[in-house]
Amino acid sequence: MSLSQSARAASAAESRFRITRPIAPARNARVIALDRAAEAVARRVAARSWAAARFYACGEAAEGRPPEALALFGLDGVPPVALREVLAGTDVVVVLAAGDAGSRQAAAIGAACGARAVTTAGVVLGDGFEADEAVAALRPYARVLLLSADEADVVELLTALRV
Amino acid sequence: MLRRDINELLTQTGPGTPMGELFRQYWIPALLAEELPENDSPPVRVKLLSERMVAFRDSEGRYGLVDEFCAHRGASLWFGRNEGSGLRCPYHGWKYDVTGQCVEVPSEADNSSFCQNVQLTAYPLVKVGDLLWTYMGDAAEQPPLPEFEFVQVPPEQTYTSKRWQQSNWLQAFEGGIDSSHVTFLHSGGLKTDPLFKGAKGNEYNMKDTKPFFEVADSEGGLFVGARRNAEPGTYYWRITPWVMPAFTMVPPRGDHPVHGHFWVPIDDENCWTYSFDYHPVRALTDQERQAMVDGHGVHSRNIPGTYRPAANMDNDYLIDREAQKRGDTYSGVAGIAMQDASLQESMGPIVDRTKERLVPADSGIIKARQKLRKAAIALRDEGVRPPGVDPVHHRVRSAAVVLPQAESFLDSCRDAVTVTPGVAQSSV
Repeated sequence: MSLSQSARAASAAESRFRITRPIAPARNARVIALDRAAEAVARRVAARSWAAARFYACGEAAEGRPPEALALFGLDGVPPVALREVLAGTDVVVVLAAGDAGSRQAAAIGAACGARAVTTAGVVLGDGFEADEAVAALRPYARVLLLSADEADVVELLTALRV
Repeated sequence: MLRRDINELLTQTGPGTPMGELFRQYWIPALLAEELPENDSPPVRVKLLSERMVAFRDSEGRYGLVDEFCAHRGASLWFGRNEGSGLRCPYHGWKYDVTGQCVEVPSEADNSSFCQNVQLTAYPLVKVGDLLWTYMGDAAEQPPLPEFEFVQVPPEQTYTSKRWQQSNWLQAFEGGIDSSHVTFLHSGGLKTDPLFKGAKGNEYNMKDTKPFFEVADSEGGLFVGARRNAEPGTYYWRITPWVMPAFTMVPPRGDHPVHGHFWVPIDDENCWTYSFDYHPVRALTDQERQAMVDGHGVHSRNIPGTYRPAANMDNDYLIDREAQKRGDTYSGVAGIAMQDASLQESMGPIVDRTKERLVPADSGIIKARQKLRKAAIALRDEGVRPPGVDPVHHRVRSAAVVLPQAESFLDSCRDAVTVTPGVAQSSV
């Protein structure tokens, strides 16, 4: 140990030591369900207590309109709002998919998040990965795709991210 | 982050704990076969899942793993005399066979039946590959022996080492499924390590330092796919399998041997890291084997006569700041194994996961923790046999492949991640 160092974790107790300081929620997350089945999952997850996460379902992706114009419906009853507004001020979007119905929306969300440097994660639910097209649409943008048969993964992911 | 109660559930593996009972469903490595090299060789202390035992190989070559302490006065049988098909306590001469059965109590009358009622706790100890494996659960539920490929190939194709890690097993294991640290912590090794360097895949690793991840269930655990850009229109995928509870493999590089780990709790603040290299279709070369012995690749250079790494927390892992500054190593610590161990041990014996700040790229770790927790609770509450017990689940491989961007790594690599004897690994 060099002389300038005043402490070293020479015992298990010292190794355990950490400065105690409250940890603020790290993420201002948006959770977006791409299809009806995913929306049902999102509603169940949204019913839990979260620090700052907001939950949305997708409207139709209109052809010819920019991705940011995609309409989203807040699961807490707020009026439809454009994707660009949902993304304002967030740094992580978690997209939920249980089928291919939302693959066009997936691409729109991915592109919009990519353009804004918003980290994107996808949770694709289903035993047989019925959401192949949604996965393919998300793949270029989603930093992580969690292919899962277990909707509890959504809760686990959001909890781990402190949203 | 993880709730405190879940962190305790996952990190405590002593008798009667949910994770301890989970581990007791599996065959786990107890020691290297080289530690009991011949009949009647000296006994070896073995601590696993917080239970203290002694392993020995009797005069007939049978292996035994029994309670470390003599039933008489509690002396350690590590001091025992391994002779005449049993281990004899040197204090008063009580003798035990490999099943823990007391077979002789010299102070009793000849032909006394007293010793028949003296039985030490004992577990089976079986040589498979270069390892001695034990099963510490209910004997009636003992599963078939492990079938991991690294212990199935001929001896000339495989090499296993081990090292003592001064941390809980979980934080060591989590490094095994955390592909995102490779580009940073191990970047020096990709260029210089004789067991890594020269592969085309290394170039993709170094060019694209921000991999994307896909995490998918497997029958025995998980597959974690790390994706980087390759040539236009293609991705370079590195696929890491995890078989519950504690077996992981590293995706291969070129024709180098394939490597991986088995992370075994000693107690709640220490674990054994078993590190293996094997080649599915050819013998390891002399140079490769020597590199492994010298601590390259996933192996460590240990203090002679021990399994403690020469670079350890007592000497600050021999950190070399000049090498760090030059870029020879990213952290200043030499060797892939000790680069991992130094940081994992620095987290403390049991890291407080309530204080973590995880990111989406940690999803493999998040998912693995969930699977472990669910399996431990399902076993405790409903007696459900966990994934990874069935040897069919052991027949997985890591893989490194280049795929068209539109292809799913799972769909395209089913053969690549399944053991096919006599077929080489899929590697770039």
